[in-house]
Amino acid sequence: MNTAYDYDCVVIGGGLAGLTCGLKCLAEGLSCAVISSGMSALHFSSGSIDLLGHHPGREVVFSPMDTLPDFINTNPGHPYAKCGLHDIVEAMDFLHQEINAQGTRLFSNGRYNHFHITAVGTLKPTFFSPASVFTQEIKTVFEKKPCIAILNIKGFRDFHPVLAAANLNRHRLFSHCRITCGEIELPGQKTAAYGTADMRSVDVARILDSASDLRDVAEAVSAASGKADIVALPALLGLNRYPEIVDELRRSTDRLIYEIPTLPPSILGMRLDNALKARFAAQGGIFIASETIESGTVENDRVVSIHTLNQGDDIRAACYVLASGSFFSKGLSSRYGRMTEPVFDCRLDIPPDCKSLAAESFFSPKSHDFLRAGVKTDERLNPETTSGQAVTNLYCAGAVLSSYNPVNEGSGGGVAVATGYKAAKQIVARIVNEKHPENRGPE
Amino acid sequence: MINLENTSFDCCIKCTICTAYCPVARATDLYPGPKYSGPDAERMRIKAPFLVDKSLAFCNNCKRCETVCPSGVRITDFIYRARNIRLKKKHRLRDFFLTRTDITGRLSAGFSWLVNPFIKLKATKFLLSLFMGISREASMPEFDRGTFTAHNTARLRKQQAFARKVVYFHGCYVNYYDHALGESVIAVLNAMGIGVLTPPQKCCGVPLIAAGNFTQVRKNAAFNIAGLRRVTGNDSDMKIVFSSSSCTLTVKQDYPHLLGMDTDAIDDRLEFITKFLHREFKNDNMPPMRPVNLTAAYHSPCHLDRTGGMIHTIAVLKAVPGLRLVVLHSECCGIAGTYGFKKEFHDIAQQIGNRLFDQINRINPDIVITDCETCKWQIEANTRYPVKHPVSVLAEALRKEDSPPI
Repeated sequence: MNTAYDYDCVVIGGGLAGLTCGLKCLAEGLSCAVISSGMSALHFSSGSIDLLGHHPGREVVFSPMDTLPDFINTNPGHPYAKCGLHDIVEAMDFLHQEINAQGTRLFSNGRYNHFHITAVGTLKPTFFSPASVFTQEIKTVFEKKPCIAILNIKGFRDFHPVLAAANLNRHRLFSHCRITCGEIELPGQKTAAYGTADMRSVDVARILDSASDLRDVAEAVSAASGKADIVALPALLGLNRYPEIVDELRRSTDRLIYEIPTLPPSILGMRLDNALKARFAAQGGIFIASETIESGTVENDRVVSIHTLNQGDDIRAACYVLASGSFFSKGLSSRYGRMTEPVFDCRLDIPPDCKSLAAESFFSPKSHDFLRAGVKTDERLNPETTSGQAVTNLYCAGAVLSSYNPVNEGSGGGVAVATGYKAAKQIVARIVNEKHPENRGPE
Repeated sequence: MINLENTSFDCCIKCTICTAYCPVARATDLYPGPKYSGPDAERMRIKAPFLVDKSLAFCNNCKRCETVCPSGVRITDFIYRARNIRLKKKHRLRDFFLTRTDITGRLSAGFSWLVNPFIKLKATKFLLSLFMGISREASMPEFDRGTFTAHNTARLRKQQAFARKVVYFHGCYVNYYDHALGESVIAVLNAMGIGVLTPPQKCCGVPLIAAGNFTQVRKNAAFNIAGLRRVTGNDSDMKIVFSSSSCTLTVKQDYPHLLGMDTDAIDDRLEFITKFLHREFKNDNMPPMRPVNLTAAYHSPCHLDRTGGMIHTIAVLKAVPGLRLVVLHSECCGIAGTYGFKKEFHDIAQQIGNRLFDQINRINPDIVITDCETCKWQIEANTRYPVKHPVSVLAEALRKEDSPPI
C-alpha cells in the first residue's frame, strides 16, 4: 500500500464546482476524495444552473453560446476566459450527462437561455433546469398565454402567491396572462403535532414523499386552480419521489405542474445535490461530509500537505483543488481592512479603485464589488502564494475565484461547472504524464 | 444574570439544513427538528427555562445535524446540555439499567449463562417494558462470559515484550459483550509488531450523556483521562486506539466541548483504530493477509461520519485481498446506542433504519461491515446478514495465514 499518495486528487469543497471536478476525475480513471464542511451552497440554490444570464449592461442574454466569444474577448481576466469556449461547452455537456446517468434529468432550451420564475415572481434567465421548471412542453404552453394558478400550502409561510402573481403580471411576457392565486390543504394536516405554519419546505416534502395516496391533494389542486392550464406550486413536491408525485398530480388534475424555488433549504437545490453526490459515490468517489481544513503547506511550487481538524496530516494527494466557495462558505474570509483565503493563504484579487466593496443599496443594479473579489489565478487556474510563488499542483474552481460577478452576470453555476471541469482536465493530463512519461508529447 | 457560556447559536443562520437531514424528524412529526430544539429554543431557554418542551427528548444524538451544518454550530451540545439541566428525569430505573454499563455489565456478564436466556423470556420482556420502559420488541444483545479485562494480567507479559506499544480503549462493548473483537484488535496489532496495553477504564459515558446524567459522565471521564495519561506517560509516540466509533467521538469531542474536561494531555494520541491502521499500512507495516472472498456492504456509523473517519476504514478494507466492498449511502440505522431500546422510541428507530435495511437487502452481500457495536445489533436484528467490525475482518484474513497452505 506504500504509495506516495492516498488519492490522485483531493477536492476541498463539496459544492457544484467540487463535485463536477470530482466526477470528471473519476470519469478519467483517477481516484478522488471530496472534503466538505457541511452541506454546500446548492442547498440555497434554485436547482437551475445558469451559464450567462445578463450582459454587463443588465440586458438579458438570449444565447449564451453565441454571446460567450465576445464576452470572453472583452473580459480577459474572467474565469470563462481561462476555460475557453470549447471547454465551457464540453463541461456543461459533461455535467448534463452525469446527472442524466443518475436518473435525474436536466433540460435546456437548446443553445438558448430560458426563464425560471422566482419566489417573488420575477424572471431569471438560466441554462439548465429540472423537468418541473423547464421542458419543451412547458415552453410551448407558456407561449400560448395560458391561465396560471399560483397555489400555496395553507399556512405555509415561506411562499406568497399574491406577491409572486403581482410581480409576474408586471412582466411583458405575462401581462396578458390570467393569473389566479389559491391554497390547498395537506393530507393529515389537521392531526399533525405541528401545523404548516411551523414547517419549512422539507417538512412538507416529507409528508408528500410518504403520502400513500395523493388523490386528496390532486382534488384540492383541481378545485383551487379553476380553469388554469398551469398550476405553479412552491417547490416542495417531494425530495425522493418527486418525479412520481409531479406525474401523478399532472395526470389527475390534467394541468401542467410547475415548481417555484422557495426559501432555504431549497428542495430543487437539494435534489440536484443528492443526484450529484449519488453519482459521485456510484463512480467510486469518497465524500467526506464533515471536516475542516485548517491549513495547507506549500513548499517550493507544490502543496505538500493539508492539515485537517480530525485527520491531521493523514490525507495526501498528488493534486489538490480549492473549490471552497466564497465568503458564506468560508472559502474566503473577511475582517476589518483585510480579506484572506484561509487554507493556503493564496494571493487575492480585490477590485481596485473603489471606495467601498459594497454598494449603498442592497438591490443595487450595479451589484456589489466584493463579489468580484477572490483568489487570483493564472490561465491554468493555479493560484499563487502571498509571496508570489505559483502553486502548480493546486487548482482553483468555483466561487473562490476572482474577477467575476455571479449575481450580476448570472454566471455562478456555469463558472463552477466550467472551472471544476477545467481543473480536472488539467489534473488528468498532469497525472497521466507523471505515470506514463513516455506518452508525453513534444512540448 | 444570563449564562452566556455557549453562544454559538449566533452562528446559526436558520437555513434548516440540519432539520432536512435529521433522521428523527424524517421519521416522526412529533419532533420539530434540531434547529428548533437546539439553537432556536436555546435562546428562549436561557431567558425563560419554563419554555423547555418535551420534544427535547426525541433527539437520538446521531449528530447528523452537526455533520451537515454549514455554519459549524454544535447543535447537539445545546440539546444535551438542556436535557441535563432542564428536562425532568422520568425513567430513573431504566436510565440506571441502560447507562451504568459498568455495574449492569459486570453483573450480567458474570452470570451470562443465566442472564442471556432469562432476558429473552417473554415474561422478562414484559416486566422490563412495564417497569422500566424498555421496548418488548427490541432484541436484547447477549452478554459474553465474564469480562475482557479479567484476562488483562495474563495478556500483559506477552504485550510488554513488544518494543512498540499502543494503548487500547476497548469500551464496554468489548468488555461485556464481545471479547472476540478485543482479541482481534490485539491479534492484528501483534501481527504488525505492536503490543497492546489495556489499562483499567470505565464506560466513556455516551449512554449517560443521552440520559442527561452529566455528574456520572464527568466522574468516568476524569478516571479515564487520568488512567490513559498515566499509561501513555511521556512516550509521545504511543497512541490510544478505540474499536468503538462512539467512544472515540465522546472522548475526543464531548469530553472537552460538552463536559468541559481537560483532554489536552491525551488529545493528539486519541485515534479510531482504522485511522491508526491506515497510517501503519501506508508506512508499509501491513500484516500478511490471505484472500477472504467475500462481498461486503459497508455501513459508516453516524459518529464516524461526524469526523470523516470512514475514509480510513474504507482504505483499510480495500487492503484486504478478496474483499469486494460496496459502500452504502450513509444513513442512520436508528438504534443510536440506547435510543432504540426505549419503549417510546422503538418504532421511530425502526422506521429510521428501514431505509438502511432496504439498501442492504438490495445488495444482498455475504456480510455487512460497520465500525459501531449498536449499529451491528440493529442491522443483525433487522436483516439476515452477519455484521462484522472491520478489525474482525482483518483478523479473519490473518487467521487464514496461520493455517498451512494447501
